[in-house]
Amino acid sequence: MTPRQTPASAGLLSAERRGRAAANEGQGVGAIGANGVNGANGASGPVGAVGRLLRSHRPGEEPLRVLSASGQLGYGIVGASLERGLARQPHFIGCDMGSIDPGPYYLGSGEMAPPEDMVRRDLALVLGAARRLNIPLLIGSAGTAGARPHLEATLELVREVAQAQGLRMRLALIESDVDPGILTRALAEGRLHPLDDGDGPLPFPSAADIEACTHRVAQCGTETFIRALTPEVDVVLAGRACDTAIFAALPEMLGYDPGLALHMAKIVECTSLCCDPGGRDAILAELWPDHFVLESMNPALRATPASVAAHALYEQADPWFVEEPGGTLDLRSARYEAEGERRTRVAGARFTPRPQPTLKIEGACHVGARAVLLAGIADPVMQQELPRALEQVEAKVRSLVALAPGQRWALHPHAYGQGAITPRPPGGAGGTGAPCELGLVLEFIASDMALARTVAAVLKQNRRQHGYPGRLSTAGNLAFPFTPSELVAGEAYGFCLYHRLDGEDPAHIFRLRIENIGLAPVPVPANREARP
Amino acid sequence: MSKQDAVTSLPVPLARLAKVVRSKNAGPTQLTVDIFFHDADGYARAVACAGLQAPAVAARYGLRPQQVRRFELPGILAIKLSMPRRRCAGDPGDGDLYGAQQHVPLLEVRL
Repeated sequence: MTPRQTPASAGLLSAERRGRAAANEGQGVGAIGANGVNGANGASGPVGAVGRLLRSHRPGEEPLRVLSASGQLGYGIVGASLERGLARQPHFIGCDMGSIDPGPYYLGSGEMAPPEDMVRRDLALVLGAARRLNIPLLIGSAGTAGARPHLEATLELVREVAQAQGLRMRLALIESDVDPGILTRALAEGRLHPLDDGDGPLPFPSAADIEACTHRVAQCGTETFIRALTPEVDVVLAGRACDTAIFAALPEMLGYDPGLALHMAKIVECTSLCCDPGGRDAILAELWPDHFVLESMNPALRATPASVAAHALYEQADPWFVEEPGGTLDLRSARYEAEGERRTRVAGARFTPRPQPTLKIEGACHVGARAVLLAGIADPVMQQELPRALEQVEAKVRSLVALAPGQRWALHPHAYGQGAITPRPPGGAGGTGAPCELGLVLEFIASDMALARTVAAVLKQNRRQHGYPGRLSTAGNLAFPFTPSELVAGEAYGFCLYHRLDGEDPAHIFRLRIENIGLAPVPVPANREARP
Repeated sequence: MSKQDAVTSLPVPLARLAKVVRSKNAGPTQLTVDIFFHDADGYARAVACAGLQAPAVAARYGLRPQQVRRFELPGILAIKLSMPRRRCAGDPGDGDLYGAQQHVPLLEVRL
């Protein structure tokens, strides 16, 4: 690989940005014993993997090698690809662990989406690697949704892994939970805004809706990671975080262009998904002052200019502008060029900071208990009559099941073949008319589980025997796959908040704390809370 | 094939000219559909096709025309269509948590 940047270009890096790293370095002053690495650089205070990187890396002299190990920590990191990445001597490792994608259940309930033993396995791989190489490890959106229970559960697994491997580390934790009072005040002052021009399916919340959320989080951005990345730190474990912040913060602290750093971060947070074919293997980005180069750590996956450019469209409503807490990333002038068969060089994205940071807020609330009834329908007349028959049977069940004060239930039919997934095209799928059979999922949401089961069971019996015009199959209407036929499907949650919050200082929202594993505590810097 | 030829050729289903037609949530309240074409002719044909203009797409999804945003990306031969979801992802009654099957109404568009 040919360096495309002369060291002289490093002079373009802003003195102010270099200054951000220097300011952070001052914070550990006066602390006790360094953790033994590279502590003799003239500065006092313990030096962790972060301090070691900030002191030793000179942009332009060599690329900053950024290894993205996982876009969904806990679903199985491919070990061979990770090892190939480690052999390239990355300067730091980043992992994304969360998303809003799996739905409101995880934010609402406080549970983690991936299986705990898989999270333990993946954490063991990246923690072991980062400590072995003595490089920073940054993990964002801990435990899927990044609220307090997710962060604490992930921290507990980190402790277990550290104990099992005999690892010592200093962790910076970022808590992303937002106090409801901050949000109700913002609501009253007009500082809470929809993210979709108010044209979407999420109603604008009331103060009661905000209070009703079981968890409320904000996505922390690059500036919050920068605050957490003090020199004594080895590992950052963040609650809900922008995927980009995991990978853009250290480059920005080192003086790299924020547009370039964020564009790189935006691509690598999904690991090798930007490749042809796409994959989940670790990806390496080599960042220079004026471009970066992407390379999958799976030799079978190629990062091509077309595959990388196409990735900018992925799960992004607007292909040109990416909104971050601190400003807007503009991809219109991004350029993608092949560097060999399976590497792509990227340059040209621009970042425009906004005067006041904005934060994306997420909240989920309990909406009821869920029961499910599964059935199939083969009778053609029954299929045609289904919407009306369901209405009639639901009305009958409402007359049969008495509700106590405060109790309520709703039925949501999922009639496969009749528009359960997409709006039903006129004339049936492909113009072929009705399907030859139909699957039916009836979703009951009730104020409590006993009621959900009751209405599902009563509806089942009535639905089986319901008479409808043209009925030939007078012995029964539905084919049930299971007994019991009504399945308890757990508690139900819904998103309540997915909004933009203006006028709050991220430093007041995101709380930082230090967790020492196998290391003596250091005095608490002014911008952190002491751990109780 | 010039753009004019493309427009006057016999219509073929989108699935024949596109190499990727995919849909995905863009956050829990929005849906985005990406269509990538095999070649510049297919892309030109799609750009000119009324069936892929915002009003026609909105009609297929039961939305108002101004609710659909369309982006043309000639550099990568792609068209992007972004729109609100009918229900928030994972809400009771939602049939497609990740929005991964919402490309289907466009497969029948003839270009």
